[in-house]
Amino acid sequence: MSSKAEFFDRIRAEIGRTRDLAPAAPSVRPGRPRERLDVLRRELAERWRENLQRFQLEFERVGGVFHRVADVGEAPEAIARIASERGLRRIVAWHAGALGVDVVAPLAAKGLEAVAAPDAEVAGDERERRRALAAAADLGVTGADLAVAETGSLVVVSGAGRPRSASLLPACHVAIFDREVLVESLVQAGLVLEAWHDGTAPPWRGASINVITGPSRTADIELTLTRGVHGPREVHAVFVEQGLAPRRV
Amino acid sequence: MSEPELATPFRERAGQALRDSFLQEALTIATTKFIDLRREAFDEFPEGEALRDRAREIKEATLQRLDHYLDLLIDNVERHGGHVHYATTSEEACGIVLDIARRTGARTAVKSKSMATEEIHLNDALEAAGVTPIETDLGEYIIQLAHERPSHIIAPAIHKTKGQVAELFARELKRETVADPEVLTRIAREELREKFLQADLGISGANFGVADTGTIVLVTNEGNGRMVTSLPRVHVAVMGVEKVIPSMTDLAVFLAILAKSATGQKLSVYTSLVTGPRRGGELEGPEEFHLVLLDNGRIRQIGGPLREALSCLRCGACLNVCPVYRQIGGHAYGYTYPGPIGILLTAMLNGPASVKDLAHASSLCGACLEACPVRIDIPRMLIELRRDVNERRIAPWSERVVFGALGRLLQRPALYRVAARLGRLMQRPFVRGEVIRRVPLVFGDWTRTRDLPPVAARTFQERWAELERPGRR
Repeated sequence: MSSKAEFFDRIRAEIGRTRDLAPAAPSVRPGRPRERLDVLRRELAERWRENLQRFQLEFERVGGVFHRVADVGEAPEAIARIASERGLRRIVAWHAGALGVDVVAPLAAKGLEAVAAPDAEVAGDERERRRALAAAADLGVTGADLAVAETGSLVVVSGAGRPRSASLLPACHVAIFDREVLVESLVQAGLVLEAWHDGTAPPWRGASINVITGPSRTADIELTLTRGVHGPREVHAVFVEQGLAPRRV
Repeated sequence: MSEPELATPFRERAGQALRDSFLQEALTIATTKFIDLRREAFDEFPEGEALRDRAREIKEATLQRLDHYLDLLIDNVERHGGHVHYATTSEEACGIVLDIARRTGARTAVKSKSMATEEIHLNDALEAAGVTPIETDLGEYIIQLAHERPSHIIAPAIHKTKGQVAELFARELKRETVADPEVLTRIAREELREKFLQADLGISGANFGVADTGTIVLVTNEGNGRMVTSLPRVHVAVMGVEKVIPSMTDLAVFLAILAKSATGQKLSVYTSLVTGPRRGGELEGPEEFHLVLLDNGRIRQIGGPLREALSCLRCGACLNVCPVYRQIGGHAYGYTYPGPIGILLTAMLNGPASVKDLAHASSLCGACLEACPVRIDIPRMLIELRRDVNERRIAPWSERVVFGALGRLLQRPALYRVAARLGRLMQRPFVRGEVIRRVPLVFGDWTRTRDLPPVAARTFQERWAELERPGRR
């Protein structure tokens, strides 16, 4: 087994052997990324319509289905519609605090089996039970912590009340978002990632961030594009025009 | 584990590939499609050219201070409760993973696509130790069921028809099916979903390791990378030391060009950022996270002749454009990494002797350099490898003698003129209709695949001298 010290000795010896290298620098990182992000968000607030349009275009290009509702009250209805059109009954959702809207009660009222994730640590056997629930579910409801217009991507941060499985195990994924999370480009998404990792992470934050660009796909058999190989076959984005309730980001 | 000398010589392997008409068709369709998709993606993205330069500079800057950035990565992985291991060789890397499997009582391991674990032959080691590895990338899954090796870095089963896959599933999974990619993919989903939920160990590679945050980044289309890093109770990521990048800002640069180069997508479907094991409050995520840093010949290239190849992103773009790869496919190369970059990586991992034939499996046309997102000068290094192979006397003696003689000849004009005259005489029996198709003895190998123009009745030098003669102008 190699030791760290021996490993690094060899790396430093090799670096010492290099000669006449052209000077090179990594990317210039934003100083005070959180403040920079606040400034950017204010700028983006003025261009949200264009950005939403671009997002919709790119999201549909990668096979996503875009929906738009006026206010939070209509969000559960949009989900119920997606479910009923496809005959889906079992739904797992993020916790209302992470989602910015309670979807479970209105969905249950429509006769659907909807379960929200707990927003605090639970014991191992309860986690097992929850995982089985997600594995058996037909539809998963999540928020989106970022929507990238340039690529049509939805970004989900895992954590308390934000299970990874909701956007992964069910064959249909529905993400609810509003103008607050829209950014234009990957470069801006890079700034957001810097801001999220600046300083100590909030206690609710999980270990996984996923940038999701369309439904799960493969072209491994004769380069024929096929959807839903491991992750969801369908991805829906529901835009809430009046905005969701404030949530932890 | 340096790979054993291959039983069939390269020329025979290439010959078999050329005679395989199905393979020929599959290769043409696949590589042409990848080329078109890549071109369209970059045509739509004018800032791409500048970002390619930027990406290359980031790689170079990281390499110049690799100790610093690796140290930072390690500190941050450990700060988040992850464990870091150091593997100088393939055997060591496999040993580390086996120890983890043994300690945690793992019986099955689900794997997301990883060239690093292919390179160290981890599956063989796991099987020998009684741990069942299950490849979960659809292409890799097909290859594993067929007991074959991947033939393309990003499309491992590029050489198989849907009919062959249907037969394979019928035989190995005992499931009767039809030759329809849609149906076959659904079967794989069902089979593998159970494995994901039951597996004890998740094994992945890493496309990037972000030093500043201790984050491992995986880029996949199917979602298997997310399963592997979220569902089993232990996650092991095997990462080449050169995969470290400084920051999230740098990551955004690489993401902007990686998928475009590989498949023509703006982004692959899933970009997964994993920072340590499950945290309090999360429902999923492994209880243990291990990062295995892999050397396996990489470190000695930091100051070595193959340094540039350490910038490779494993996108596969150079394979698709290579006239040699397009003809012979991945298997003929005989090692884990095929194509132009594969020759360099094979030399890196197994030493220059392993590529004494492969170093010549290139027309040096430069298409790979043109396609490479980080502009790795593959042709330059191939030429240097050829020289190295020659100087170490690894090349066949006949080749060394002939090219040695040719070298001396070309340096001495007088000798050259004599040789040209001699050649004109000696070639007579071999010229057939303005070309020389076959030359005997040590030259035979060379003319097997090449036609030579005969030495002209009057050489260029002779005609030049004539033109220069006073009175001719």
